[in-house]
Amino acid sequence: MVFSSLTFLFFFLPLALSLYYISPRAMKNFTLLGVSLFFYAWGEPVYIILMIFSVLTDYIHGRIIGRYREKKPLYAKLGLVSSLVVNLAVLSFFKYADFLIGSINSIIGTGIEPLDLPLPIGVSFYTFQTMSYAIDVYRGNVRPQKNIIIFALYVSLFPQLIAGPIVRYETIEKELMNRTFQLSQFADGVRIFIIGLGKKVLIANSIGQLWASVESQGVSDLTVLAAWLGIIAFAFQIYFDFSGYSDMAIGLGKMFGFNFPTNFNYPYIAKNASVFWRRWHITLGSWFRDYVYIPLGGNRKGQLVLYRNLFIVWGLTGLWHGASWNYVLWGLYFGVLIGIERAGLVKWLEKLPRFVQHGYLLIAILFSWVLFVFEDINEGIRYAQVMVGLGGRPLYDTAFLYDLYTNGVLLLVAGLLSTPLFTRLWKQLVERNEIIRNEWIQTALQVFFFMAILFLSTAYLVDDSFNPFLYFRF
Amino acid sequence: MKRLNTIMIVVFAVFIGGITCMNLLAEDQPFSQAENRPLMEFPKVSLDRITSGAFTKDVETYLSDQFVHKRFWTSIKASAQKAVMKKDNNGVYFGEDGYLFEKFETPSEQLDANSESISRFLENTTGVSVYGLLAPTSIEMYPEKLPKFAQTASEANAIQRIEEQVRGEISWIDVASALKTAKEHPIYFRTDHHWTTHGAYVAYQAAMEKMGMEPVPSNEFTVRTVSKNFRGTYDAKANDPSVAADEIDVFEPKFHVSYDVDIDDGQSKMDSLYAWEFLEKRDQYSLFLGGNHRAVTIHSNVKNGRKLMIIKDSYAHALVPFLANHFEEIYMVDLRYDHRNMAQIVKEKGIQDVLFVYNIAGFAEDENLIWLRQ
Repeated sequence: MVFSSLTFLFFFLPLALSLYYISPRAMKNFTLLGVSLFFYAWGEPVYIILMIFSVLTDYIHGRIIGRYREKKPLYAKLGLVSSLVVNLAVLSFFKYADFLIGSINSIIGTGIEPLDLPLPIGVSFYTFQTMSYAIDVYRGNVRPQKNIIIFALYVSLFPQLIAGPIVRYETIEKELMNRTFQLSQFADGVRIFIIGLGKKVLIANSIGQLWASVESQGVSDLTVLAAWLGIIAFAFQIYFDFSGYSDMAIGLGKMFGFNFPTNFNYPYIAKNASVFWRRWHITLGSWFRDYVYIPLGGNRKGQLVLYRNLFIVWGLTGLWHGASWNYVLWGLYFGVLIGIERAGLVKWLEKLPRFVQHGYLLIAILFSWVLFVFEDINEGIRYAQVMVGLGGRPLYDTAFLYDLYTNGVLLLVAGLLSTPLFTRLWKQLVERNEIIRNEWIQTALQVFFFMAILFLSTAYLVDDSFNPFLYFRF
Repeated sequence: MKRLNTIMIVVFAVFIGGITCMNLLAEDQPFSQAENRPLMEFPKVSLDRITSGAFTKDVETYLSDQFVHKRFWTSIKASAQKAVMKKDNNGVYFGEDGYLFEKFETPSEQLDANSESISRFLENTTGVSVYGLLAPTSIEMYPEKLPKFAQTASEANAIQRIEEQVRGEISWIDVASALKTAKEHPIYFRTDHHWTTHGAYVAYQAAMEKMGMEPVPSNEFTVRTVSKNFRGTYDAKANDPSVAADEIDVFEPKFHVSYDVDIDDGQSKMDSLYAWEFLEKRDQYSLFLGGNHRAVTIHSNVKNGRKLMIIKDSYAHALVPFLANHFEEIYMVDLRYDHRNMAQIVKEKGIQDVLFVYNIAGFAEDENLIWLRQ
């Protein structure tokens, strides 16, 4: 069940909220755990066993590491290693086994049958969360959780279960144990959730149809401008889809009293790849930084080690996005870019006008999405060739004109919403204009604005046969 | 700010909770007129279905199928699409003058396979006159009403491709050219994928000419408007509330006629070519012969001994009332439901003429002509 579905909005969410808020205080965590497990079981009922297995092993590992970390560090270390091995084994088995089998088959020509297992929902996210927990307990950053209900709730908490953000235990430790209802927090949750829903349903799904239309023309029949239009549409689709999903998660978290970290901060306004990744899927970037890059020595051990570390971190980041070589290449592409930027490109770019810096980043990102979107690398390369004019294709045709003309408004809106422009304008307006600051007018405007998005999103969902969710591959 | 937050939460809760309650309280509908399909009812519960995930998947379909006031929501979406300059919705173009059009895609190999199936049929029906009538759809007839830059493949090319591919004795009836000269009449519905009786009359004239017969002139019919609120399949997809409904005209002969209609070899009988009760439903095109049936036999009061077999899709339904006045017996079969050996039946029944009636968009994707290869 995805959040942007009628089943979620008009069945699961009202049910979960009512059960949660009628539960007595002492029972709230228990109710929320029950609701979360129900949510998890909805998609792949059998994998509930996997979830319970993960909870139990991570709970026990946490307790072992916590108990021995001072007295017998070797035991604690063994506990940590065991925890990492179990988590990575779960992740690799369900996500990467077929990829590995396919690669082995194509390299040495064997004929091993793929397993064809469905990917357990959210496995990439929750294994990363539990690994961070084990490491943080080992490092002494957090105390191990002794209450298994609370720990199970941390792992399975439904708002962040399927598509992040990757929430670290220390971030919500206090809220897991004790949270009180705050009117403003709940209202913020409603607002953020609706914004996320609108991003996903009204923008990502609509612009996704433009990308689908371009993609369906086939690389060999594509014109140059259509190729650019298509990948721009994809860039908007993936941003509004993913960030919309994160917003919905954050909003839902607040409705249940949790504050999750921000995951996207207008990434497309960045001026270089390093900054882009501090604004795009922030919780994943900081996870790799804190648990892989820095432990490997980061940039403190000389140039050679730095470049090795960049290679490892970005290869893994790519691989995390999907079990296919194009994702690895996509990650390494950013590794190389960030390496070059560090080696001096950024210093040089900073002397140039701002629009050149933005232009550099946007073009670099668009080509990265070509790598990302085509699992068949050769097809991606052919697509990129058409973009740069090496495909021997005409500049444009009527199909392109139709797509541009009928999606012009949508593209413009998506472009503007990728920047903080509207948010800033609104803030300035409120600061300067006393009438708008009036509480009743504020209320009327806000209620109208958010309800209009919710209302339209419902209309689109009822109509929609086109509601694919991009992140089930993760 | 406290008041603002309270109101925000209350409005949100009322919206989500209100719609949830409406859906809970509404009675389940087994069938949707608007979508012309059965709806999912509450799925069966069993341990097996729960563990396999089939149950929850069905519940999702059930909830979205049974969502109340769907037409209201879909028209909101269509209006929003138009507001942001979209020129199509769910694959249907918003044309000018209230016309809706479905894009014709470049045909796949299915079309070539269908040509081959007809060729094989012709090998087994020597001594019989076979005619082919491939009707264009509205998008081919009104390119000037399409949105700017809108794309569609050429139906004329597809029809030509079939005519070139089919081997054997067959006379092709060129209805596209005839229809092009009759555009002052409403030859196609604006909101449906069928032609009207006006379009069918033009096709009938062209068919008569090919068959060497004299068509009944139009002044021997009274044209009566029997419906003013027909919203067809294109409308069901586009959902644009600003598009007006279609009218349905019926050509009533001024001379005496009587018919015996036998449906599915004795399953049911009618004494008219029209099933008037469909005017009360959404699917009003089924007025003609009561919609799709496996096999329909029509005996008319014309006692000339001529027997015609029609192998067809639903475009034939508006055409048959004209043809019925020229044949003693019409045997109309639909290969989607009838998988018998048609060449055999032609021999057994002593049929002299066979007519294929298809619209090109349907024909290009029809997977059932394979049954002709027996």
